[in-house]
Amino acid sequence: MKTLVLGIGNDILGDDGVGIHIVREAAKHISSGDVIVEETGAAGLSLLERIKGYERLIIADAILTDNTEVGKIHRLTLKDLAKTNDSITPHEAALRTTLEIGNSLFPGEMPRDVVVFAVQTHDVDHVTGKMSRPVKAAVPEVVRMILAEIKT
Amino acid sequence: MANKIVIEPVSRVEGHGKVTVYLNDQGNVDKSYLHITQVRGFEKFCEGRLYNEMLAITPRICGICPVSHHLAAAKACDEILGVQLTPTATMLRRLLHNAQFLQSHALHFFYLASPDLLFGMESDPAMRNIIGVITQQPELAKKGVFLRSFGQKIIEYLGEKRVHPNAAIPGGMNKVLSQAERQLILSQIDQAIADSQLAVNIVKDYITKNKALADSFANFDSSYLGLVDANNNVEIYDGKLRLKDKNGVVLEDKFAPKDYLKYIEEKVEDWSYLKFPYYKKAGYPAGMYRVGPLGRFNAAEGHSTPLANKEFQEARKLTKNGVLSGSLYYHLARMIEMLNAAETIKALLQNEQICGNDIWVNGSVTNEEGVGVIEAPRGTLIHHYKVDKSGQIKQVNLIVSTGHNNLAMNKAVFDVASQYIKGGNVTEGILNRIEVAIRCYDPCFSCSTHALGHMPLELTVHEADGTVRELLTQ
Repeated sequence: MKTLVLGIGNDILGDDGVGIHIVREAAKHISSGDVIVEETGAAGLSLLERIKGYERLIIADAILTDNTEVGKIHRLTLKDLAKTNDSITPHEAALRTTLEIGNSLFPGEMPRDVVVFAVQTHDVDHVTGKMSRPVKAAVPEVVRMILAEIKT
Repeated sequence: MANKIVIEPVSRVEGHGKVTVYLNDQGNVDKSYLHITQVRGFEKFCEGRLYNEMLAITPRICGICPVSHHLAAAKACDEILGVQLTPTATMLRRLLHNAQFLQSHALHFFYLASPDLLFGMESDPAMRNIIGVITQQPELAKKGVFLRSFGQKIIEYLGEKRVHPNAAIPGGMNKVLSQAERQLILSQIDQAIADSQLAVNIVKDYITKNKALADSFANFDSSYLGLVDANNNVEIYDGKLRLKDKNGVVLEDKFAPKDYLKYIEEKVEDWSYLKFPYYKKAGYPAGMYRVGPLGRFNAAEGHSTPLANKEFQEARKLTKNGVLSGSLYYHLARMIEMLNAAETIKALLQNEQICGNDIWVNGSVTNEEGVGVIEAPRGTLIHHYKVDKSGQIKQVNLIVSTGHNNLAMNKAVFDVASQYIKGGNVTEGILNRIEVAIRCYDPCFSCSTHALGHMPLELTVHEADGTVRELLTQ
């Protein structure tokens, strides 16, 4: 299955870079020509062109929620993701909205199978170039989960 | 009893971009704030690094317009080296920058602004979005996709498909443009010009039909700042800074960008991480100026390309003194710039020299200070570095576009809120109007909202004791 493994984040912005670090590590263990590994600092609608043409999309990203511990790994499918239609900037449309837009513009060309691995983060506002310890510790486990996901 | 209204439209990151409105006893607007969170610690992170790393680091400030930071950094580093770029290198950088303008303006217009312009601000929010545009005007949505990917493709030709741009280097460019790439871009450029003209026409049509609204909505006095060329045409890559007042009178004519500190000062407010730049001579906050498409439109006298200049001159006739001060005119100025970018790309590519091999000049650290100023799609962008003799960064000062517009966006929010919130009456349409006002400026709330972002528009009216009186979600 033609698969895109996409790390999203900013590798100098504290924990925000976790998705980038995960896919860099995962790439070392991926040899199948059917699986492409990419990084991006952009999001929202600018993902549209990136994810077009793949059957499966696996995303690694940071997440901020109120009620879980830092470093916790979430495995999310489309059903779990929030849907938003409106935002002040177009760069911040949610993934589900982006896929919906993609499906209307390019029927049949958007990934049908979408899995997101998100790591609960702590600080994404400070430029430090480093992740916090619990977030960094989650990286190997997410890499294992992604590699297992690819085999399914 | 004072009420507090919070519109929290964006993001998983708290306080990412939030509007707070305070009502007085009559339920009318007393004061309002637009909070923009900035990433912190960036200047510190850069200290001690080599100057040439800035071209790779600064684009990470913003996932939205990395090319702008990349080019401003490159220009600051050229100055540190004290080198003059070759003609081909300058042309390639201009090509890169115009391609970015094209894709950035296209994204903003087709995906974000067009629903409000096509369907009206009071229309059903369920349809007033990009999905609505795709459903009702699929051809238009496809043009947006085409313009965006066309601009993106040019950026990739110049830099390879990378997360962060790597096209420019201090003293020039990394990679030549091949004849094949040149021909591919040229084969689509007339379509890009035609589609940009169509976008200009859509905004003109909207303004003709909604002239009273355009002239009253978030319309306020300010000065205007932007780069201009020697003929006072809008300039985005090089040139000098020009500042005009609310009546179109030139306050500062073509000062050297490196002297920006003589003219611009920044104020810190305790409720915002983002500083408030202002025109020094006029003081704070009277020295408020606007940047971005409307800032450039009002600071300049025209565009350098024929179709865009025709639209520019026509737009000037909309008011007596030629100054457009209503925030909705940002959309018109933005689309005229998109047309200018498409025409400029064509002109650059028609010159054989664009495929030249002479793209880099060697140099060593000559000046211990470098200022790189360009016009980013959202407005004037200033990178200022101080280095030691070995080229290690000692100090970094950045003024970003959204920063320059900070005072003006706050003013726009206040005006719209005051105009439409009366007697404590807050409806969905009013909320959207506040968002529309902010959107005119196309602010970028720095980086960290990704694919998962959950951003419903929420309005909460708090009583002074903290109880929630009203909750609206969009």
